[in-house]
Amino acid sequence: MRNIIQQLRRLNFPILAAMFVLLGLGIVFIYSATANMADREGIRLYEKQIGWAALGFACFLGFALTDYHYLTRLAWWIYAAGLILLALVFVPHIGLEMYGAKRWLQVGGARLFQPAEFMKIALAIVLARLFGWPGRPVRRLRYAVIGVLVTLLPAALIIKQPDLGTAIVFFPVLLGVMFAAGAPGKTIFFFLATAGLIVLLALSVVFLPARFGLPEQEHKELLMRAGITPYQRERILVFFDSGRDPLGSGWNKAQSRIAVGSGGLFGKGFLRGTQNILGFLPRTVKPTDFVFAVIAEEKGFAGVLFTLTVFAVLIYGALRSAAVARDKMGRLLCVGLAAMIFCHIFINIAMTVGLAPITGIPLPLISYGGTFIVSTMSALGIVQSVHIRGDWQS
Amino acid sequence: MRLTDREKKRLLILALIMFGSLALLAGAIWFIQIGQGHDYLLSQDRQSIRRVRLPTVRGRIFDRNGICLAGNQPDYGICIYLEELLRSGKKRPTARKAWDMVQELARITGVEPQTTLRRINDHIYMRKPLPMPVWLHLDHKAMARFAEISMHFPAADIALYPKRIYPCGALAGHIIGYVGTGKAGEDTERDYHYYLPDMEGKRGLEKVYNKWLAGSAGGSLIRIDVAGFKHDEESIREPVPGGDLRLSLDLRLQRLAEEALAGECGAAVIVNPENGDVLAMASAPGFDPGMFYPHLAVHTWQALVEDKRKPLFNRAISGSYAPGSIFKPLIAIAALIQGKATADTVLKCDGSLALGGRVFSCHGGVAHGDLDIARALEVSCNVFFYKLGLQCGYDAIYHMALAAGFGEKTGLDLDGESAGLLPSKSWKRQTKGELWRDGDTCNIAIGQGDLLVTPLQMAMFAAAIANGGRLYRPRLVIGRKRHDQSEFEPVPPILERDLRWSADHLAVVREGMRRVVCEPSGTGHLAGLPQVAMAGKTGTAEFGRKGSGRQRGWMILFAPFARPQYAVAMVMDAASGSGGADVGPRLGKMMAEIFADERRSAE
Repeated sequence: MRNIIQQLRRLNFPILAAMFVLLGLGIVFIYSATANMADREGIRLYEKQIGWAALGFACFLGFALTDYHYLTRLAWWIYAAGLILLALVFVPHIGLEMYGAKRWLQVGGARLFQPAEFMKIALAIVLARLFGWPGRPVRRLRYAVIGVLVTLLPAALIIKQPDLGTAIVFFPVLLGVMFAAGAPGKTIFFFLATAGLIVLLALSVVFLPARFGLPEQEHKELLMRAGITPYQRERILVFFDSGRDPLGSGWNKAQSRIAVGSGGLFGKGFLRGTQNILGFLPRTVKPTDFVFAVIAEEKGFAGVLFTLTVFAVLIYGALRSAAVARDKMGRLLCVGLAAMIFCHIFINIAMTVGLAPITGIPLPLISYGGTFIVSTMSALGIVQSVHIRGDWQS
Repeated sequence: MRLTDREKKRLLILALIMFGSLALLAGAIWFIQIGQGHDYLLSQDRQSIRRVRLPTVRGRIFDRNGICLAGNQPDYGICIYLEELLRSGKKRPTARKAWDMVQELARITGVEPQTTLRRINDHIYMRKPLPMPVWLHLDHKAMARFAEISMHFPAADIALYPKRIYPCGALAGHIIGYVGTGKAGEDTERDYHYYLPDMEGKRGLEKVYNKWLAGSAGGSLIRIDVAGFKHDEESIREPVPGGDLRLSLDLRLQRLAEEALAGECGAAVIVNPENGDVLAMASAPGFDPGMFYPHLAVHTWQALVEDKRKPLFNRAISGSYAPGSIFKPLIAIAALIQGKATADTVLKCDGSLALGGRVFSCHGGVAHGDLDIARALEVSCNVFFYKLGLQCGYDAIYHMALAAGFGEKTGLDLDGESAGLLPSKSWKRQTKGELWRDGDTCNIAIGQGDLLVTPLQMAMFAAAIANGGRLYRPRLVIGRKRHDQSEFEPVPPILERDLRWSADHLAVVREGMRRVVCEPSGTGHLAGLPQVAMAGKTGTAEFGRKGSGRQRGWMILFAPFARPQYAVAMVMDAASGSGGADVGPRLGKMMAEIFADERRSAE
């Protein structure tokens, strides 16, 4: 018991504080985003979010008090379990299909959780183990190749769900871990160049054939073969053309941008965001992917700046834990998880204000979502575990 | 474990990338929220703000004594606020729910539904954010039943619509006119998304003074939700109620004038010679303006339009009649003023006058013998006036008639006025291709030929004789009151022109006209009253084909003779005998009652 208290006194305080502030912010604006909705299930979303936060906090404490070396020791088993769970999504009666995507595991029709969320943490652990094992020569190319394979495998499974947005987050985690581990700059640059090339290639497949007069039908087949669904194509087109189909596929982007833009310096006031209350921000995505738009509309730039600052504190806390980690595995674990959380923040906000295509990535600790809250808080718990056992007094 | 420099550097780079990205986001959002914020506010308003025009209450019309001729009465209805019934933003279930509610309400109140599911769907499609009227014109019984249960139907509410009423029914119907539903886009208010129409004057004073009576519409800005239903009211500009009008009409006199015409087609006008106030203006047959609003049945309208007696036609100002002998005083005045005759001028009547191969005869060929002007007026001798007219010359007659207001509209503030017709020599040349002949002058001299006048013109002419030669512009509105004023602001009378008739000349004509009524041998003696001296002139004018025997009966009158208060003109479309015989007794009875009333109120 004394041991536990001692451990808790060594917690990373900035992370803890930022986490609570962000959770509170999320609950308040989920309340706002769902204020005028008829609740069919009896329990309001913000109340459920409080429940998820409580569960998340239990996981947070659990991981914080657990030595992360247990995780790194079991890294490959955890990774394998994650792959199996991802594969189960495609098994009928176990995987649950919603809105045409198989992202959930179910028990008798009840949604259990999204394995992809579990996999994010598993990947960070396995990459920390791969690159952080004592005495490992990380400058060798074979480790870079293994790292890529280890990342590609679950990413491919997730793309197959399909959930491109979540899969994309995996690669910055790999890059961050490799970079922090001391992989050669050449390798890092090569990866970045490859990623850029892939994006360029995808874009040219979307845009160029039409320019060269390829018939629509053949273009569609080409896109299919390139692995780009019509839905993804449309989102890319909407991103590059702000006036495209404002009543259909362009709706979310246009309305979110109007919500943010009309917020001004101090916003329209809590529960006064017209885009929010009048339903121009779609009800289904308001509390999840577009909760930041509600904050920006109702609290204006002041609210935006505050939220971004708290996120910066969170990231700072995670990187600080990386800096004080007792060993390299702990440090890489913190970097990987920090990179994961950062990617969510950046992509979600950029998407909300129209600077990135709409990908369906939620905002950590603020967006509504059970699995995501629990996985994010678990990740922060692991970072705390590294911190508690860190070498930070010297 | 201590970090190597390389590891430290890499961690720092990672931190810089992440913080830099967040700062970049902050910058981009600053640009969107502060830099372009105004544009986004505009586009947000554009998609969620709707402007609605709010109708206002129409002004009322009173007679000179404050009796209401046109007013408003609350008309009760029930409307449904659709946003209260909203079901998950969808259209169909909401319409269904509204329809269920209408049926439920119908069952409880026992009033048949006045709407259909289709109309509800139309409303949702066309004017979703507005309350949907489902019952209109409900009686008190149905309203009471609804009031009892209204708390169970929060989405339904009592709606109050102003209804135009005409408390005096058909009385002065031609003057008041009527209203119909205004159309959108007829004024400058085209920017409204939703246009709730006002009543609009379609005829009579309701039309002429529509702007004043209508007031100005209000507007409200409502915010709609993404499904287009009303969310709340952003702001409102209260409608300005219309202003009231006070008329020159005296309802008592109006009623007497209409009674004088009872059963006949014709018109009667009573004006105040001192200021041109129209005290009564009757046209028979008439109509009840109340039947036009809110809507008139097609067959009723058809019957009104096809009625041969033309009930919608305001004979008092739109009817052009040959004046006949009532025009003779003008010939007399013209001759006197031109110096072509004096009070002592005597001309001889042989019963007829031969002129260029044609014979112009006195009525029935009676020879009146030697006559002066007064006597000639008294017995209405045609031959005397043929001769006087020829002596005077048509130019003098024409200019005198023009000055007295014939051949042009009087300028009364009512629509549909006719100018009548005062033929000039050039007019005859242009329209008939003929030169003016002495025969034409003879015809005009007895108020026949192409000459046409309106009853109002004749009343104003009688008023000019009565007041010493001042031609007023007749008027119906003597006071206006804006909705925020407590007293009527008087409208000053307008003197059209002073005709500069000398008192001596006028005295001759007035004496002749006095004799018409007051002497037993006068043609209008049937109008005479024992207690009040009056002056007048009768007329019987042929119309239609010559010799068809169809004639109008006319009489003009002013009274009391010494200090005239009333100038009157009355015409009957189809007189069986003559003006004196048909119109005289009716006017006499009317004047008797007017003076009897006056005495009663004086006592």
